Amino acid sequence: MKKKVRAKGIAGLLAAVLAVTTLTGCRFGFASDPDDPNEEVKEVPIDTSADTFTYDASLEGTEITLLNSKAEIQAPLEKVSAAFEEKSGVHVEVMPVTDGDSPYTKVVSMYNSGTPPTMAILDTTDVIALAEEKAADLTGEAWTAQAGEYLTEVNGKVYSFPLCIEGRGLIYSKAVIEEALGEEFDPKSIATLDNFTELLEKLKAAGIEKPVSLAKEDWSLGAHHLQYIYETYDGTSEGAQEMIQQIKDGECDLDTYDRLEEFLDMFDVLKKYNVAKGDPLGADYDEMAIDLADGKTAFWFNGNWAWPNLTEAGAGEEDEYGFLPYFLNSDAGDFANQKIQASPSKQVMLDGQMASEKEQAAAREFLNWIVFSEIGQQMLVKTCNVIPPFINNPYEPADPLSADIYEKVQAGETFNASAIVPNDHWAVLGAAMQKYLAGRSDREELTESIAEYWKEQE
Amino acid sequence: MKQTAIGGNKRKAANILATAGLIIIFLAYMFPFLMVVINSLKQKRDIIKSPFSWLYTIKGLSFDNFVKAFTQMDFMNAFKNSLIVTVSATLLVTLFAAMLAYYIVRHNNRISKITFALMVASMIIPFQAIMIPLVSIYGGTLNMLNHRITLIFMHTGFSMAMSVFMFHGFIKGSVPIALEEAAYIDGCTRGQTFFKIVFPLLKPIISTMVILNALAFWNDFLLPSLVLTDKKLLTLPLSTYSFYGTYSADYGTIMAGLLLCVIPILILYIILQKQIISGVVAGAVK
Amino acid sequence: MRNKNRGKDFCMFALPGMFCFFAVVMIPFIYGVYLTLTDWNGVAKVKNFIGFKNFAGVLRDGQFWTSLGLTFKYVILVVLLVNVIAFLLAYLLTRGMKGQNFFRAGFFTPNLIGGIVLGYIWQFVFSRVFVNVGEATGWNLFGVSWLSDPTKAFLALVMVSVWQLSGYMILIYVAGFMGLSEDVMEAASIDGASGWRKMRSIVMPLMMSSVTICLFLTLSRAFMVYDVNLSLTAGAPYGTTEMAAMHVYEKAFTSRQFGLGQAEALILFLIVACISGIQVYLTKKKEVEA
Repeated sequence: MKKKVRAKGIAGLLAAVLAVTTLTGCRFGFASDPDDPNEEVKEVPIDTSADTFTYDASLEGTEITLLNSKAEIQAPLEKVSAAFEEKSGVHVEVMPVTDGDSPYTKVVSMYNSGTPPTMAILDTTDVIALAEEKAADLTGEAWTAQAGEYLTEVNGKVYSFPLCIEGRGLIYSKAVIEEALGEEFDPKSIATLDNFTELLEKLKAAGIEKPVSLAKEDWSLGAHHLQYIYETYDGTSEGAQEMIQQIKDGECDLDTYDRLEEFLDMFDVLKKYNVAKGDPLGADYDEMAIDLADGKTAFWFNGNWAWPNLTEAGAGEEDEYGFLPYFLNSDAGDFANQKIQASPSKQVMLDGQMASEKEQAAAREFLNWIVFSEIGQQMLVKTCNVIPPFINNPYEPADPLSADIYEKVQAGETFNASAIVPNDHWAVLGAAMQKYLAGRSDREELTESIAEYWKEQE
Repeated sequence: MKQTAIGGNKRKAANILATAGLIIIFLAYMFPFLMVVINSLKQKRDIIKSPFSWLYTIKGLSFDNFVKAFTQMDFMNAFKNSLIVTVSATLLVTLFAAMLAYYIVRHNNRISKITFALMVASMIIPFQAIMIPLVSIYGGTLNMLNHRITLIFMHTGFSMAMSVFMFHGFIKGSVPIALEEAAYIDGCTRGQTFFKIVFPLLKPIISTMVILNALAFWNDFLLPSLVLTDKKLLTLPLSTYSFYGTYSADYGTIMAGLLLCVIPILILYIILQKQIISGVVAGAVK
Repeated sequence: MRNKNRGKDFCMFALPGMFCFFAVVMIPFIYGVYLTLTDWNGVAKVKNFIGFKNFAGVLRDGQFWTSLGLTFKYVILVVLLVNVIAFLLAYLLTRGMKGQNFFRAGFFTPNLIGGIVLGYIWQFVFSRVFVNVGEATGWNLFGVSWLSDPTKAFLALVMVSVWQLSGYMILIYVAGFMGLSEDVMEAASIDGASGWRKMRSIVMPLMMSSVTICLFLTLSRAFMVYDVNLSLTAGAPYGTTEMAAMHVYEKAFTSRQFGLGQAEALILFLIVACISGIQVYLTKKKEVEA
């Protein structure tokens, strides 16, 4: 009997807990907070009054698909597609790549299923892997003249459309630094690794014990950090390729390669002042954005794609954020200490295998429309909030991170080097970097893993 | 006399202990769900900074996440798709598997043996090993993707082995052949015997298999994501894709969306739960 | 007459199910086996026949064998824990206790959620909720995220799998217990020293068919763990929790060595087939003895 009562009691309790959950939910539900950081970002008006783009009327009614692997612009891209459809009559279906599989896996399975997307937004490495087998040749397209140094060529031909420029480095919050130090902060005054360490020490003395946020994710460590050792070889993509070839051929001894040594010096500094030093592999990406916006930290190693996270964490467009270079040494004349890495990381590939002539023509029109039409130009910058790689695009991105990269591109303070590494580079060496970050391996072991990795590549 | 008393006390103590243990384990089981329910009502910032606290949130609790999830998922449409796929596939697999298992149990020939052995073995094929061949056959060669019927067919095929295996065990153990022989004498055909005599006897295992299969179909992500790309055809799990960003996840909406996906299946489970038990009990009494 | 009937029977009862099964599972599988003998990368139009070169590649892939070793450790822990817990809970839940339906429903709930989402929830619990509790209480156990330590991350994976699978197995064990006759249950419900003996000598043999099924299911599921692995740890920290199925997937798609990945999947399949074959043989033998 007692047992029965008890079981009933517990069941009742649980029901009560659930009921309370719902009730309190209701009570709080209608109190809308005016400063809600989650509130939809206000719509940026697009001026559609001028449109000098000539549309090919014969393409009207064509339906094409665009596979999008840049999740944060899924909704904006749908708007772009709607605007394009209104003007041209071509329907562009924007399909997202889900988190469960990689863009490459998705494209491969779609090709296998015989229904590849007409266009696919992919990482540069993926484009290079697929280009000659699947992609349509875009060499003669009008927009290639506007893309300047941001074109990617495979054996002398262009197979992809650079969608945006992305830059990465150390994001700093000017307000946090100035408030802590009580003086004006000029990012230009930090020109070397020594300057940077000094600054960190000063911040520490001013009360910000650990001013740096360092992501533990393997893509951050394996791709965004580690790839500096190839990209800073001479600051060009060709140089990075040459460097990788040298490692593969065994011509370059990683033990004595100074860029690796320097890279680890910088990484050690970041590691030392990491806000999550106690549990570096437990660091949470979303929390880093909040910490930076709250002023708990002053730096976050990331790229301009981090802006949506910062907004969500409460940062506004009027706040001053910017990028510092990934300092490698104390030579103020070294380009690596002066420039930010920025390159076209997402590219649009056009299917040349299954898509019909008409579909291909419609896709080509869409790409040209983005580059040459007034509406397309605006939407790329204002709606998608990306940095356009095309010199004829007069619009400037509004958020501080993209604006900073944009300014630096204009001022020649960026270097466009993207290392083309095998697809599993970030995963395999990201793991090795995690081990190093957690303090469970030393430089020697890390260097060995890198050497080992390249030895296994054919 | 004395001994029984001690035994009784001991028994009582053991019962209380068992119940207490059960409750503790139960609460541990429910903990993640509690977390989901609580956090589905909170804003991202609060979820990240204080996932455990409930009333002390900066932004307060609200149903915003549910509203957002509901619209972004295109819930009604996705729900309809999930329902069609799940119901059809569950019906098909239940019927076909019961018949096939019945055939295998009653016809001990070579085909039966080989098929059964293959099915049992196939239960341990990693899905990854057939994923690409599957899409290249059905998509590349037969061009059958992006239809609900293809997904239903594939669900049926993939769950066939497991279902036959379960039905096989049950029929072998609990369906007496004497009943069927009596039916033949009364002039029933094979088909009539199966549907009128055997199938009703399978009720307990049918309810179990319906739940297990329906759950698997309802929740499956990988297979539908390979078969369906057309937005109008997306099932519920596929429709929550957009909450998982490349770099970070929209936790509040994810949890709200998750609850929205689970509620229908929870209702089905609660309804069928009673049936299983009455079915099993009825079977046991006979 | 008889033969004709047999053919009709076959068409009516066996064919529909067999057709679905062969078309969806066996044919792609056989095609997949053929692909292991080629150098196909998943995309190219040409597939060159290269014989058993991929299998030689498997032998050289040290990471595969490491992940396989880890999988064995994982399987042993999961299979034991799941079955012990599920068996005991099912036993408790079939003794006519008040509210047992409620509990049964509760224990099954983890299965209402798909594996990938489930992993995300637990990742959130381990990396945010527990750490938060640790900060608030100062408990060392939760001081750092479990997912950042190789051993604890592995244990987290085991815990979540046990949590999920045991609910499923409870259902089967409950059905088994309910199939036992009243007097058997009566005999088993007498507690004390003799109760345990009766449990072993009377109940266990009658439950062997349920045990066979549950062991088989937990074995194969644990060996092929993928979605929870992916969404809970994704191999982190630094690849120490990467199980065999996940490694296979990574090989085929991230490293783009499709034939090699497919060959590893085949080897994994053969291993699981052998082990579960032995298990079914052994437990079936016990059933017959009873």
